[in-house]
Amino acid sequence: MKYYSLVIPRESAWVVMNELARLDQLHFVDYDPQLPMINRPFANYVKRCDDSLFKLSCLELLLKEFKKNLNYCENVDSLLDYYQQVQQDRMKPGHTYFDELEQEIEQKKIQIQEQSANLQNLLDRVNIITEQQLVLENAKEILGQSMFQQQVPHNPNDYQQLKFGQLIGVIDKEEEVRFKRIIFRVTKGNAWVQIKDLNNEQIDNSMRKSFHLNQNNTSQPRCLFVIVFPGAEESSSLKIKLLKVCDSFNKQRIEYPNSMDQVQRKMMELAQQLQESKSLIEMTKQQLEQSLNKLVLQKQGCNCSYFEYMRLYILKEKYLYVNLNYLTMRGSIFTGYFWLPEGMEIMVEEKLRNAMINNRDHYPTGQIQQIKPQPYTPPTYFNLNEVTLPFQEIVNTYGIPRYQEVNPGLFTIITFPFLFGVMFADIAHGFMLFLCGIYLIFWKNYLLKQTDSMFNLMIPFRYLIILMGFFAFYNGFIYNDYLSISLNLFGSCYSPEKDEWKRESKDCVYPFGVDPVWQASGSSLNFMNSYKMKLSVILGVIHMLFGILMKGVNTLYFKNYLDFFCEFIPQLLFMICTFGWMDFIIIVKWLNTYENNTDPSIIETMINQVLKPFDKPVNPVFPNQAEFQLRITQILTLIAVICIPWMLLPKPLILGSKNDKHKVSMSDSQYQPLVSDKQVSEQDEDSNQEFDNDLQNVANLKSFSEQTQEEHDSGEIWVHQMIETIEFVLGGISNTASYLRLWALSLAHGQLAEVFYDMCLAGKLDIGGILGGLLGGYFYIVFALLTFGVLMTMDVMECFLHALRLHWVEFQNKFYKADGYLFNGYSYKKILNDNLKQSNSK
Amino acid sequence: MDLCVFGVDDGYAEAIIRGLRASFLSEAQYQQMKNCASIPELKSFLEETDYQNCLQADNPQIPTSILRQRLKKKLADEFEYIEAQSTGTLTKYLFHLRCRFMIDNVVNMIEGLKNKIDIEILLSNIDPLGWFPEIKNIKVLEGDDYSSLYRDVLIDTPIGVYFMKFLEESIENLHENRTLNDIQNLFREMKPEYIRTSLKKMWLEDFYSFCESELMATSQEVLLELLKFEADFKTIQVIYNSIGNRDLNTAAKIITTRKQLCPTIGNLYPDCEKLYLQAMTLDTLREAVKGCDNYRDLLKDAPDPLKREEFNVQTKTLDDIMYDDECRRYALAFDGQGSYGVFYAYLKLKEQEIRNIIWLAEMISRKLAKNHPGWKKIIIPFSHLGK
Repeated sequence: MKYYSLVIPRESAWVVMNELARLDQLHFVDYDPQLPMINRPFANYVKRCDDSLFKLSCLELLLKEFKKNLNYCENVDSLLDYYQQVQQDRMKPGHTYFDELEQEIEQKKIQIQEQSANLQNLLDRVNIITEQQLVLENAKEILGQSMFQQQVPHNPNDYQQLKFGQLIGVIDKEEEVRFKRIIFRVTKGNAWVQIKDLNNEQIDNSMRKSFHLNQNNTSQPRCLFVIVFPGAEESSSLKIKLLKVCDSFNKQRIEYPNSMDQVQRKMMELAQQLQESKSLIEMTKQQLEQSLNKLVLQKQGCNCSYFEYMRLYILKEKYLYVNLNYLTMRGSIFTGYFWLPEGMEIMVEEKLRNAMINNRDHYPTGQIQQIKPQPYTPPTYFNLNEVTLPFQEIVNTYGIPRYQEVNPGLFTIITFPFLFGVMFADIAHGFMLFLCGIYLIFWKNYLLKQTDSMFNLMIPFRYLIILMGFFAFYNGFIYNDYLSISLNLFGSCYSPEKDEWKRESKDCVYPFGVDPVWQASGSSLNFMNSYKMKLSVILGVIHMLFGILMKGVNTLYFKNYLDFFCEFIPQLLFMICTFGWMDFIIIVKWLNTYENNTDPSIIETMINQVLKPFDKPVNPVFPNQAEFQLRITQILTLIAVICIPWMLLPKPLILGSKNDKHKVSMSDSQYQPLVSDKQVSEQDEDSNQEFDNDLQNVANLKSFSEQTQEEHDSGEIWVHQMIETIEFVLGGISNTASYLRLWALSLAHGQLAEVFYDMCLAGKLDIGGILGGLLGGYFYIVFALLTFGVLMTMDVMECFLHALRLHWVEFQNKFYKADGYLFNGYSYKKILNDNLKQSNSK
Repeated sequence: MDLCVFGVDDGYAEAIIRGLRASFLSEAQYQQMKNCASIPELKSFLEETDYQNCLQADNPQIPTSILRQRLKKKLADEFEYIEAQSTGTLTKYLFHLRCRFMIDNVVNMIEGLKNKIDIEILLSNIDPLGWFPEIKNIKVLEGDDYSSLYRDVLIDTPIGVYFMKFLEESIENLHENRTLNDIQNLFREMKPEYIRTSLKKMWLEDFYSFCESELMATSQEVLLELLKFEADFKTIQVIYNSIGNRDLNTAAKIITTRKQLCPTIGNLYPDCEKLYLQAMTLDTLREAVKGCDNYRDLLKDAPDPLKREEFNVQTKTLDDIMYDDECRRYALAFDGQGSYGVFYAYLKLKEQEIRNIIWLAEMISRKLAKNHPGWKKIIIPFSHLGK
């Protein structure tokens, strides 16, 4: 990783940035992370892009409402090539294309929203008309003929003759009660109110359905009201009051005609209006469809809808301006800094040359210059592929590797699935997982299209799954466990004879894995437990030793010899002399045969090694060589004990003495930073100064301040070292114990499998007959479901988590600093790909 | 004890409030807002803050009235969300908070209708926090007849109770042999502002007694304190405004008005007779409140109400001083846990923030010079914490 400065003249900034974004390999450094985006030179461009995106999202909603399916872009590369093609054909400066698109989007949005508003208005109108029709029909029913007969006084002499007025209209259903109450209060009960539900929802929906609209904005249910009150005169105070009340409910009020004929006429009128509106709607809708279709259509040579084409272009443009904002502007020159992976200079220079050629006005394009020393720690860059990605992801979740330290992601590719396999050891279960991985790998393209498939989410992890499956399968053979049954593949070395098992011959060994005869013997659990336990400790110690070796590699690479001699060597020795030795005697014990109950206990041996350092072991691991064993254990214990102060003392002492020397020299040179401070300020005043020196000074200042930071208190160093040492020594024991989870989890797995098998299948097979068959079928289903639910999902998860822990805690704490930060390449491809996923999942 | 059980019902709502607390604009952000040169710039700045979503669909040249409406809508939405998450006492409590806005809305409607402003405009200007379905029916109001307004429309509404009390009180104050005409005259002359003040007084007293009787001890501790101060501020304000008021020409009138409008709670209440009777100038008012807290310090900077005509934008009015002090107290309410005080304080402080933004928007749209004293006239919630 190298640090470069980039200088671009203002005129060609866009072209250069556009070219560089195709390279995917630059990591731009923000010159002042504190500066809010809004104060940067291109903030208004970013804002304009945001506005356009917002407009597009408005359009997208409309597209969805009209059930237009967009063609989403699948291949970003070809789209980017297409953009480039379009730019070249335009024969105008590249950045102006954004202006054109922006205007186009604005126009489209206004046009389409207007059309859809028109459509909405018309629909509302139709609704109102149909509502009126309904109201009239219903009112006719409620009021009947008598209302009209009242108009003609049947007895002109009757002084009590009373005229009634009526009000008819529509209100929201939920206001019904309130409406009734207010009317009652206003008229003091002197009015007759009838309310009837209108099922206009139905009309509403049918209307919408016929135009293929979404039904999300159905109106609230409404109801019809009819008020009959005494006093028909226009000017009666009661009527005025009632009119006010009705109007304040903000809904339609309908003049009820005076005679039956008029009602009929009105109905006719409404029907006619309805017809007219409907044909209008049809027209508007066609127009709208046309403009929407334009958005959906693919442009010539482009692989996605025009809408997507615009959206992605705007996104790309926004990304460019955001990154351009990371550059400082001085006069008409942009200056920026970026990280570049080794060996990419030629590519960048070529891109710059390209930019020059493609640039219509042939402005000089930028130049790059390497800057040494690097003022910051470089970002960590991974070159990943589909196989390594999930494993690196596992490591990155814990922490990004420090720049150039050993990346545990590489080893994780094998160790992670292996440790998982040790816990999930079962031939059948492992094979099922393996099949799942195969399915994911070979049907990947098919699965990618099934957006609702749960396998879709697992696709990035397919190589992880297949490896996990493979190692579980392999370890299943080692433990000889097939759904809790042992397979007799190679022929057992034992055969039953009366009540005992007889070994075929003395040299007979089951060729691979555990002899199936153990399953049949009563002590199968005892044997397997001790075997698995020892195996997991051996694996654990190897894993940890490997981690310590990686620490050695790190110290050598960074030329940190102090850590190499005062931390790595004693740690390695300590580990080898204690748990390494334990592993060794475990294996020796496996290889030897002991007679007359003289087989040694490993735990006892280990404890006595410390507690009784001068007593000969009673049951030596090396038969008949108790003296020899005592010597060795004494030496090893001595080395282990010496290692502890070795880890603790030398490092802080050496650092302390170095600090003292450093302090003396620092006090001599204390005036230096002040001078450079002045230089910086002087140069700030003169902005035409070469910026290079400026940066150099900044870099100097930075390294100086880092030095001062490193100058800890010696007390702090002591405390730190003490914690490290205690952690390592205690961690050696507890971490080794922690690897016993390899045994525990595989025990749990095996026991669960056995329980399911015994409970569901084993007993039922003996029943026989039709009943047995039926029961067997039923219990087989139960067995399959349990196996899938508990073992294939929950247990996979559990073993995964434990494997994760073993890597994060037990393995990585031996060497992994994990304080780096990720390389974030400046790449159109990345930003577009990120946004593609979103549109797919919608 | 209530700290143990507070979380059972109200923990979630409180957590939301505490989350929303992060949305307050910081002092640096106010500084940036002051630097905005135009309304579009201010709008684009606000879009970077928590107000993003409520403004995005609008035109950059947003009028201040629309801006206010949008900001208030956002606050109302948040409040509604919390209300939906609340149960039991908290729901009742939050409803009480709403009543204050309802009173404002009703009085605004009455005022607007009196001035013959179109109902649609009035409806679009109401505070969404105080919306209730009956509000649009106020139009039914005929002439100045408040009693029929109450009888026909407001009787069912949450603030109907206050309105009824108000009517009763105002009628009682009339002389013995009153006629219907007298009552109508009384209402015709009554100023909406007077109605607002008396309704709010009743609301405050009611809210106070609600807090006293139904809330748990921790909430009471915070809220009663806040409400007492609020009541005191109201009292001081009423007295302050009555000094030299032309409508109140006789001493007796001043005293009855004061008695009617001053809340019957708070630190000043029990022995405020002296206050009512004697405080006829600013100095005597200062003298009268000296016993309580920092009131005297507050009044020290207040301009003399007798010189009301000379006030201009630069004057730091009594209202400003009190807002400032209230702001500090509300911010303190966020300190304690397990109390309902935060809901009240949040509402108040957000109101203040909206006032600030609107004020700044006004300043910006009038293109006032940056050294104009009006720029300093904003009270930033939580700003005292930094000091």
